[in-house]
Amino acid sequence: MSAGRVARIAPVVVVALLIVLFPVLTGNGYYQNMVIISLVIAVGATGLNIITGFAGYPSLAQGAFLGLGAYAAALGSLRVGGSPFYWIPLAGVLAGFFAFLLGLLSLRTRGFSFAIITVSFLLLVRIIVQNWRHFTEGSSGLTLPIPNWDRAYMNWPFHFALVLLLGFSMLMAYRIRRTKFGVGLIAMREDEDKAASIGINTPTYKMLGFVCSAVFVGMAGAVYGYYITFVDPLGMFGLLLSVQIILSLLLGGKGTMWGPVLGAFIIEPLNEFANNSLGGGNSRLVIFGGVLVLVVLLLPQGIIPTVTRRVTTYRERRRPGLTGSRIELCERPRPATRSDPSAPNVLEVRNLNKRFGGLQAVADCSFGVPQGSLTALIGPNGSGKTTVFNIITGMMSADSGEVYLDGRRIDHLPPWTRAHLGVGRTFQITRLFGEMTVLENLVAPLREFSAGQLNRGAISGDEAARADELLALVGMTAYRDRPTSTLSYGQRKLVELAQVLALDPRVVLLDEPAGGINPTLVERLGELILELNASGRTFLIVEHNMPFVMGLCNPVRVLARGTTICQGSPEQVQRDRCVLEAYLGDDFVLEPKGVGNA
Amino acid sequence: MTKLVQTLILGVLVGGVYALLASGLTVIFGVMRIINIAHGALMIMGAFITYTLWHYLGLDPLLGVVVTVIVMFGVGWVVYFVTVRPVRRAPVTSSVLLTFGLAFFLEGVMGFIWGNSARGSRPGYVETSFNLGSLYIPKGLFFGCLLAVVIMVALQLVISKTWLGRSIRASASSEDAARLVGVNIPMVAAITFALGAASAGAGGAMISIMSTFVAGSQILWITRLLSIVVLGGLGSVPGAVVAALILGVGESLVGTYVSPLWSPALSIILIFVILVVRPQGLLGTKLREDVAQ
Repeated sequence: MSAGRVARIAPVVVVALLIVLFPVLTGNGYYQNMVIISLVIAVGATGLNIITGFAGYPSLAQGAFLGLGAYAAALGSLRVGGSPFYWIPLAGVLAGFFAFLLGLLSLRTRGFSFAIITVSFLLLVRIIVQNWRHFTEGSSGLTLPIPNWDRAYMNWPFHFALVLLLGFSMLMAYRIRRTKFGVGLIAMREDEDKAASIGINTPTYKMLGFVCSAVFVGMAGAVYGYYITFVDPLGMFGLLLSVQIILSLLLGGKGTMWGPVLGAFIIEPLNEFANNSLGGGNSRLVIFGGVLVLVVLLLPQGIIPTVTRRVTTYRERRRPGLTGSRIELCERPRPATRSDPSAPNVLEVRNLNKRFGGLQAVADCSFGVPQGSLTALIGPNGSGKTTVFNIITGMMSADSGEVYLDGRRIDHLPPWTRAHLGVGRTFQITRLFGEMTVLENLVAPLREFSAGQLNRGAISGDEAARADELLALVGMTAYRDRPTSTLSYGQRKLVELAQVLALDPRVVLLDEPAGGINPTLVERLGELILELNASGRTFLIVEHNMPFVMGLCNPVRVLARGTTICQGSPEQVQRDRCVLEAYLGDDFVLEPKGVGNA
Repeated sequence: MTKLVQTLILGVLVGGVYALLASGLTVIFGVMRIINIAHGALMIMGAFITYTLWHYLGLDPLLGVVVTVIVMFGVGWVVYFVTVRPVRRAPVTSSVLLTFGLAFFLEGVMGFIWGNSARGSRPGYVETSFNLGSLYIPKGLFFGCLLAVVIMVALQLVISKTWLGRSIRASASSEDAARLVGVNIPMVAAITFALGAASAGAGGAMISIMSTFVAGSQILWITRLLSIVVLGGLGSVPGAVVAALILGVGESLVGTYVSPLWSPALSIILIFVILVVRPQGLLGTKLREDVAQ
């Protein structure tokens, strides 16, 4: 271990030890209580980090899981009896179950709707607990039995139980961040539809993320219930508790390991201060509401990421940037196209229809993509090309019509299953996971879904090797460890192509690959596509750059007003009356020059 | 039968006031794609201002509305420039958390100013009713609803007939296109937000006549308003009006035939059902961002 690393880790270890051994070091009840409540909030915030920090879903209901855990312990030990050793784990299971239910209910919601549904969930639980009097005692609350251990132990059992739970939560978060599951969650945060298109089973990931974010919180809630020996709806299901948990996460730093813990140990002392010195009540509302506003406005990244960034910027101040260095173009003989229009179809669409309100975007559209071909799909703007892509990949469902891959009907399958079967696509405006590095983007695609996959390491050796190969292929090796948000538009196009290839798809759908990039890069991209095609890869390309399309593709499918008006070789299409009228224009003359052989 | 008709009448009257409150929230969403979770707190602030004018200055709440609206327009203006504007382009999470925090901040501030005991504006006529046979219409509720309708019609006229209204509609349908044709987007957004706050204030004035409130009521109110805008379809004013009437009548029915304890649960259950079954609401369209490019 280097001296620098020791210097960085040592303070964390010392502070962590101080917290763990706190009740041993001091007998001061006030501070012991403060540390215990901080631990409860830290567990809550660490859980919240999974669904909000990793997966990007703003949940306002995290306090509900603490409350559910506390109520489970209270009701269990009062109505049934038995040791906390049963009720604490059961409280975790119960919280997990409710999180699952909430996940199920919110499956179709994102962003605002999700925030609304979570806050409603919290209030609904509160109303039910308040009104279900003969079971929960309603607003008057429940008093738990006082622990019967020796007074000499004081609060130690509560403290150490919570330390243990926080340890488990952090280990879980740490582990998740380093698995396929965690990468999938982060991919969802960055772009959920894109994540589905590269084979990530988003609903399952979301539900699981939810459950993980609640289980330990429910257990901590149970310990908390035993500790304060009294639970009531307002105390347990108050929104302010959720606000404190969210605030801890935001203040410390979303998506970081220590952020939620750091935040909790700032927020809870602030809470005690507001209660004891400022009279609680309204001042707590003003302080926490106000701090939440300030954090969102002034410190949106949180303490830890902000500090880390400052340090990194300082360290790298003399290092030259990568941006601007040349993309390595390799001179290779241009491979002959192997596109054979008469080969059997690998992908086929039949009689697709799609209507947006009064607009018939796709009307009875049918065409096939022969195995091993470079097939072009051209047509005027608004002719439905991208909509057809969306229907093929499953991002939209058609009103009617069928999609076949290798003779198997796939139009009823979700996007990620289609990706697993071999449909890969790029987007007109590139969609990469901006906060992830190029390498992470390349190992994010999944070629199957299994329970075991969730726990697999995020980047295995094989995957890294394969990613490096793909990066070399598109000439982006130098950018391997850069976040993709720092790349230029053309570079992103290349990375997105490599990302799709990582799926090893049966057919690659390219949406305007040559749009908006410089002529040299267009040339290079054409060579790349030919090269991949020569090794057997099938492409379906939407493109407006006619020299590019006509020099590269055969067959060509022409779409106008949502219908295939012409299909055939580039020569046939260029002479077709309908195509000249609908798209190319009467005066269309293409220089007889292909890509790469100028 | 009388009981049912009576319940429906009360429900529609309450629903009218809900409609005013919800239309402000939904217009703000339509123009700036922000759900203002502090809308409930702004409403309660309007109620407190009206209450103060009535209690200390003897101004009739139905006249006090004018002052309340002006003050709340100013509050909305300030809130917009200080807090909302910086997060307009930020991800959803930011604006949700910001307005969520704002709601609690305002609740605390109001608690400091007006205390935490229940208030209500009660001029003499509030306790009396119009009687139609065995049916009765409480005057406070009646005038409140009437005023809500008048304000909504005025708002609708502003939106459909004036240059400002055209700018608001243009920004709602496409902000970029509106900017290209010279609409001053920051100003339109600020005015929309301030108008939303003003309408929340006006609705609050009515609530101060119709029922009692504390600063902490904001959270139940925002849930109710959210359920209305979600049911109506985010961004749709006609949807919000229809949904407000549905919820008003629904709560009234639950209150009469089940138990008043469960009527707040109705709006929450409604939110769940709609977001599961039909996320775009009754009259809403699917958001552009739901559609892949």
